[in-house]
Amino acid sequence: MKFDVGLILSWIPAALAGLEITIAVWLAGGLCALALGFGVAAARRFGGALVDRALTLYVALIRDTPFLIQLFLLYYGGPFVGLELEPYQAGLIGLTVYGSAYFAEIIRAGFEAVPVGHQEAAICAGLTRAQMVRRILLPEMALLVLPPVVNMQILLLKETAVLSIVTVPELTMTLTSLGSEHFAFAEALSLLAGLYWVLVEVTGALGRFAERRLARLSFAA
Amino acid sequence: MTWRYVELLAIGAAVTAGVSIVAILLGLGLGVLVCSASLARSGAVRAAGRLYISFFRGSPLLVQLLMIYYLLPAAGINVPSLVAAVLGLALCTAAYQAENLRGGFLSVAPGLIEAAQMLGMAPWRILLRIRLPIALRLTLPAVLNEAIMILKASSLVSVVGVEELTRSAQNLATSTYRPIPIYAAAGAFYLILNRLLAGGGGVLRRMLG
Amino acid sequence: MAAALQVRRLGKRFGAHAVLREIDLAVREGEVTCIVGPSGSGKSTLLRCMAFLEAPSEGEITVYGAPLGFRVTESGERQRLPDSDVARVRRNIGMVFQQFNLWPHMTALGNVAEALRQVRRLPRREAEARAMAQLAKVGLAERARHYPSQLSGGQQQRVAIARALAMEPRIMLFDEPTSSLDPELTGEVLNVMRELARAGMTMAVVTHEIGFAATVAQHIVFLDDGRILLEGTPQSVFAQPWHPRLAQFLETYIDRGAAVLLQGAPA
Repeated sequence: MKFDVGLILSWIPAALAGLEITIAVWLAGGLCALALGFGVAAARRFGGALVDRALTLYVALIRDTPFLIQLFLLYYGGPFVGLELEPYQAGLIGLTVYGSAYFAEIIRAGFEAVPVGHQEAAICAGLTRAQMVRRILLPEMALLVLPPVVNMQILLLKETAVLSIVTVPELTMTLTSLGSEHFAFAEALSLLAGLYWVLVEVTGALGRFAERRLARLSFAA
Repeated sequence: MTWRYVELLAIGAAVTAGVSIVAILLGLGLGVLVCSASLARSGAVRAAGRLYISFFRGSPLLVQLLMIYYLLPAAGINVPSLVAAVLGLALCTAAYQAENLRGGFLSVAPGLIEAAQMLGMAPWRILLRIRLPIALRLTLPAVLNEAIMILKASSLVSVVGVEELTRSAQNLATSTYRPIPIYAAAGAFYLILNRLLAGGGGVLRRMLG
Repeated sequence: MAAALQVRRLGKRFGAHAVLREIDLAVREGEVTCIVGPSGSGKSTLLRCMAFLEAPSEGEITVYGAPLGFRVTESGERQRLPDSDVARVRRNIGMVFQQFNLWPHMTALGNVAEALRQVRRLPRREAEARAMAQLAKVGLAERARHYPSQLSGGQQQRVAIARALAMEPRIMLFDEPTSSLDPELTGEVLNVMRELARAGMTMAVVTHEIGFAATVAQHIVFLDDGRILLEGTPQSVFAQPWHPRLAQFLETYIDRGAAVLLQGAPA
């Protein structure tokens, strides 16, 4: 088995273009998923029993089915209900919906982990409910969910590779097609794994840095 | 949707279940080894364990599956795609399980291990009889969660040509030109498999107390 | 002396379980009222009702004559008052919790200044100046920029006291303020509370510190199984050790230096 380093070097511009799309779709999808997940969690907490039950079902349905099936349903099933989507649109929506269910669970757990006493202390100090939510509940929840949110964003980054199956021209699609074009899979897949690995490690390091910076705000009494 | 389609999907679901269960068990076993390596006293073994975890958690499962599928034959090793798929899933999930178990292993009170050492138990026996059961009990929710993740992720092995649930659904969707009911039904099958797995996990949890 | 906070025929049920029954209690202006009793007797629930953190199932609480949470009409009906009304009446009350409940994402100064800014709408500079003065009063001016996780339990509780005092309440409620502290840290918190009592603050304190109760309180309430069993001055309550429930309760404190109480507390 030969390994052509020159070939890898010649692919770098194309790979960077693919990487750019991967990062763009990941950041956009990841942030939309976080926003939607927050919305779902907030609606479950403050929206009454019926809303809570409906959204519990939503979260369960998304979490219990594979991302690929959801993506197929959206991309191939969409046109049958008048939803003609470009691959990257399907990818973005798919990532948003898929991630939202996980973020909703993370944020729900975060809300529940904020000690009731901290909220009572705010009410006793005279803060209104809205002030308590804005000044105490939300910041404390955000602090608690930072590590799992970063973790989930990293999982979503890796899930973006699946978008290649519905022909989003991101990193995986770019390099696997180059690999089959030149019949050089070892080179293509090594470069591919290497680039993902760097991206994941950098994101993880950033997350740990943020956690350390916030460590003194911890709940350790 | 006729019964014929449901039947075909059910066969696919059975393959998915088989592939997943073998991969989960294999991955858990391998995960224990990788975890022990990542906590080993020897620096080189520890580095190897950490590198394994970092690599398999650092790249998408799809890329890992493609590597096994394309690179094993290129290296002169020919395995059926089913074997490549199970292997790929197991290698990947092992890294996550190792990371899950780590916390559990670290929180086993040193005194328990010292007590076993004083009774003359061999290190591997201490691992199997003392450290692993305690660590597993502490980390069972995370371990079960990862098992469910791998069941869902097994849909990706459709890409390397295994005739499992997702692949069956894809074939049916293209031949019938009715993707919505077919993929919805496939989703329902995954949901059922997940619930069965979660239920089994619940039984296991009660058994472990 | 007039009652700052008056509890009338208060009852509290959790489901079928009656935690408090027919409580009548007056927290008098300028006095320290200590609520003591075995664990599970309902002391904390009573105090939490007095802050309306728990809604009483029966009865009425008034703060300087104003009903808190519920109003009892002439016909004896109980009417739930709007939250804004509860908040208004509650402004007379400061609360200190067993678990401190400092907000972990704010410094000590931030914790004390928060309500001044959000509720009183004071500009940041003024709120922080007042917060600083309160922290100085509890001896923690130099810890103002520390986060709760960087403070000892005793320091956290003193910050919590400063936080409550900053809003200038007329009544301070303390819910077992030293129960989650190591013994060597309870002293600093009790000293702050003693200072406060000496300055004439009206206080209601749920506590296990019988020594503190005997020496600082003017009014002792002994709660047992959801009812007030005995109440009065420390001398009159602790001079009744023949009462079987009180004797049993005090016995558990003998080894904590409470023997001295049985000879009578100082006037």
